[in-house]
Amino acid sequence: MSDRAVLQQALDRIATLGARQEPAAYEVDGLTPQLVVAPDSPAALQEILSLANEAGLATVPWGGGTQMGLGNLPRAFDLAIDLRKLNAIVQYEPDDLTVAVQAGCTLGELGAKLGAHGQMLPVDFPTADRTTIGGLVATGLSGPRRYGYGALRDLLIGITFALPSGQLSRGGGMVVKNVSGYDMMRLHYGALGSLGVIVQLNFKVIPKPRAERTVVAAYRRLSDAAEAALQVRFSQLAPTAIVLLDALSAQGVGLEMPGWVVSLRCEGPATAVQRQADRISEVVRPAADRVEVLEGHESERLWTEVGGSIGAGRLGRAIRVRIGQTPSELPRLAEEIDRARTGLVVELSRLLDIGSGLCYATLAAERDEDLQLAWQRLSGLGLHATLLTAPPGVKVDTDVFGRQPAGLAVMRALKETFDPNRILNPGRFIGRL
Amino acid sequence: MDRQALQERLLRIVGPDGIIDDPDELLVYEYDASDEVFAGHHRPDITVLPRTADQVQEIVKLANEFGVPVTPRGAGTGLAGAALAVRGGILVVMTRMNRVLEINERDGYAIVEPGVINLELSQLTQPRGYFFAPDPSSQRACTIGGNVANNSGGPHCLKYGVTSNHILGLEVVLPNGERIWTGGPAPESPGIDLTGVLVGSEGTLGIVTKVMVRLTRLPEAVNVLLAAFADLESASQATSAIIASGILPAALEMMDHLTIKAVEAAFHAGYPEDAGAVLLIELDGLAEIVAESADRVVELCRGCGATEVRVARTPRERELLWLGRKSAFGAMGRLAPNYYLVDTTVPRTKLPPTMRTVEELSREYRLRIANVFHAGDGNLHPLVLFDRFVPGEIERVLRCTTDILQYCVDVGGTLSGEHGIGLEKRDYMTLIFTTEDLCAMAGLKRSFDPRELFNPDKVFPSGFSCGEVNAIRQQAMAKRLGIEFV
Ligand SMILES: Cc1cc2nc3c(=O)[nH]c(=O)nc-3n(C[C@H](O)[C@H](O)[C@H](O)COP(=O)(O)OP(=O)(O)OC[C@H]3O[C@@H](n4cnc5c(N)ncnc54)[C@H](O)[C@@H]3O)c2cc1C
Repeated sequence: MSDRAVLQQALDRIATLGARQEPAAYEVDGLTPQLVVAPDSPAALQEILSLANEAGLATVPWGGGTQMGLGNLPRAFDLAIDLRKLNAIVQYEPDDLTVAVQAGCTLGELGAKLGAHGQMLPVDFPTADRTTIGGLVATGLSGPRRYGYGALRDLLIGITFALPSGQLSRGGGMVVKNVSGYDMMRLHYGALGSLGVIVQLNFKVIPKPRAERTVVAAYRRLSDAAEAALQVRFSQLAPTAIVLLDALSAQGVGLEMPGWVVSLRCEGPATAVQRQADRISEVVRPAADRVEVLEGHESERLWTEVGGSIGAGRLGRAIRVRIGQTPSELPRLAEEIDRARTGLVVELSRLLDIGSGLCYATLAAERDEDLQLAWQRLSGLGLHATLLTAPPGVKVDTDVFGRQPAGLAVMRALKETFDPNRILNPGRFIGRL
Repeated sequence: MDRQALQERLLRIVGPDGIIDDPDELLVYEYDASDEVFAGHHRPDITVLPRTADQVQEIVKLANEFGVPVTPRGAGTGLAGAALAVRGGILVVMTRMNRVLEINERDGYAIVEPGVINLELSQLTQPRGYFFAPDPSSQRACTIGGNVANNSGGPHCLKYGVTSNHILGLEVVLPNGERIWTGGPAPESPGIDLTGVLVGSEGTLGIVTKVMVRLTRLPEAVNVLLAAFADLESASQATSAIIASGILPAALEMMDHLTIKAVEAAFHAGYPEDAGAVLLIELDGLAEIVAESADRVVELCRGCGATEVRVARTPRERELLWLGRKSAFGAMGRLAPNYYLVDTTVPRTKLPPTMRTVEELSREYRLRIANVFHAGDGNLHPLVLFDRFVPGEIERVLRCTTDILQYCVDVGGTLSGEHGIGLEKRDYMTLIFTTEDLCAMAGLKRSFDPRELFNPDKVFPSGFSCGEVNAIRQQAMAKRLGIEFV
């Protein structure tokens, strides 16, 4: 049989192993697959994977499709495996504060279930109703609340994944403290589905705070805003998130304030939250033009919007870059970013996650060349830089994961071991793995 | 192996004072804190104590050249035999690499060499308002490198998380002799999270030569409560009730009657000696929250039948209560010549029936079992007391601990919560993991260490080899082709 015939035969067999979907809706950087299939059991997924592996089909595991801006240009794209039928909440033990959920379950669905028991996963995304848990873990995106609660990575206690060989493996378990065997959860967290397809994730969950408030303070100068934010970070006060937004970025999350805006989130029992918000307001007030306190839903809504402005969803004619830098150096980084657009026709908005040490810069421009040049300059800043999302034209001839890390050889070896035929997201991960 | 040649080459790397030759001195390196009865003693061919990362790198390159095993070792306080040179070769003792290289309060991190003692780092940073949160009870002796390798826990990990949550980056010498940095002070370094993978890998994937740790701000307020109960079960119920209420104490530790007696006799920590069990509960954070939570915790304990709830009023009282807890293992020497420490974790709601089962097994096997553990995490530590010279006792201990493990696994628990698998628990791995699970882990191992030189015979069950990954692949292939695989 010719290669084409083998390929077709594999696709035909795979098509019988799940519900077929319309390929047009599964575009990755301009490519669409020949086949989209949605398995409804781990066993079917295993079967699909081993067939794809034998035939060497370029395969993209698909969650909600909300963070598909992330990744290098795919080398090829034959098959998308839509995981949204694997969406069961497998086991939820409210009194143990643990939950096991299949990868295709959305953040919204899980959040509703947990919320009914006064619990939560501390991540906020406006696309919660479409973003899947598996997709979140594979892309490794966590919002500014990681400052107070840790990233999702820190809450992961177990994982089940399917390898291209069809093998189904687990790591961790359903207990909150466990050192039995290697940490397979962290192996897959942020690996962009390049080492295996995540089938199930177990988390420890967090009691939902009974109340929340956000202190919002506006400053004319970045240095004053940054000093205020860092002062809180340095104190014994315990906000769960601290971000700094430039005017455009603030506008984007619905805060109409000029200059630089500091937002600090307080969560906990009602009286404690009130006291803390008061104390934080005192700390940030001296150099501020304006200080406001948002309560309850208003506060919650703000942070959902913030979640929206740090994601890796498609942006049209814009790119978003995430740069890591120590919190105290973030303000300087913000200025460097501004300088980096000299001579380019780009519109810039910046959000600094002062709690954690990350800067998100979103740049919009008409021309790919401007965006490309902007990324080129930004990619050298900070401790590391990732092009979270960009139009396909901007991704040509670059690695969206930025500078090569020292561990790339080990990462290659891991890829070689787990996906020797390179069928999972070929070309899309770091170093074009 | 040409031992003489290897020794000469090593000598050139670490100098005469970097190699241990004296048989008496060598003796300590044949053991770690696991009981010899179960882990045995193992003599490395050569024991070296490097002072720099360069030396470590040279040692590893040499090991490659000679094809001999390498076993990293910290202070040797590990309880699973993971620091034992089971197949001989080079034992690399990291205790002389003990400098604190940088403390950066403003950005909340420090860079240390792996031989720094856990407690020393917190003592150094406390005056500046920071601490290193993982606090194993062995913190006066164990090294940060050992903590990293075992992903160690401690009482305060209930709120602050285990070691893994506090490691920002690592400098590591890989099994092929390459030296790299992973991670860094800003989160989300691109690519696979090698830092996360290395933490908890028990020295099987490389030797850590520098550690970048997160420093945690000291809380504004701290409150320590001691609640006494008639028995373990009601104390367990109180634990579940506190966790389910949504309060997250900094620490929630339990001690049973036997432990209380031993600790009181040794340290006079002020525990109520007639209690069947006590809970030591620490609450910390913002003053307002601590005050509110403390009232609620007292209420919950009373509701579960606490006979007494005491609040430590002064720092001195607080220290004394903690001293008792942290010295509990040491006090066991008063009860019996040997103990075997089980380290399982169960879902927290399963604590009451689990403690009941431990009591039953204690009776059934006629072995005294002391319990002192991290109740808030569901991480138990039944200490099975015995005397190795009483005929038949060792076997009974093994049967008893296996039953405890099996029960814990049956209720959804795991083998080890914080001490690691090492040598000593590796053959239990098949209780919780399938061959497919272990093969994936073996794939990870092989990606780092294709020659299997690093800390051999650890973590994976005896007889298991990375080759099984291939076997599994063949098996899958054969299945599809409809061939029976033998
Ligand atoms: C009385 C007592 C109480 C204890 N309490 C606790 C507790 O509360 N919580 C807890 O988690 N543990 C506890 N332990 C277990 C033990 O102290 C910890 O596992 C500790 O982290 C081991 O550190 P170490 O320096 O002694 O390492 P070692 O025992 O020397 O080695 C442990 C492992 O680390 C590896 N290793 C050491 N250094 C390096 C390095 N630089 N690079 C790579 N690998 C390395 C070794 O190969 C080995 O696998 C206790 C032990 C005792 C004796």
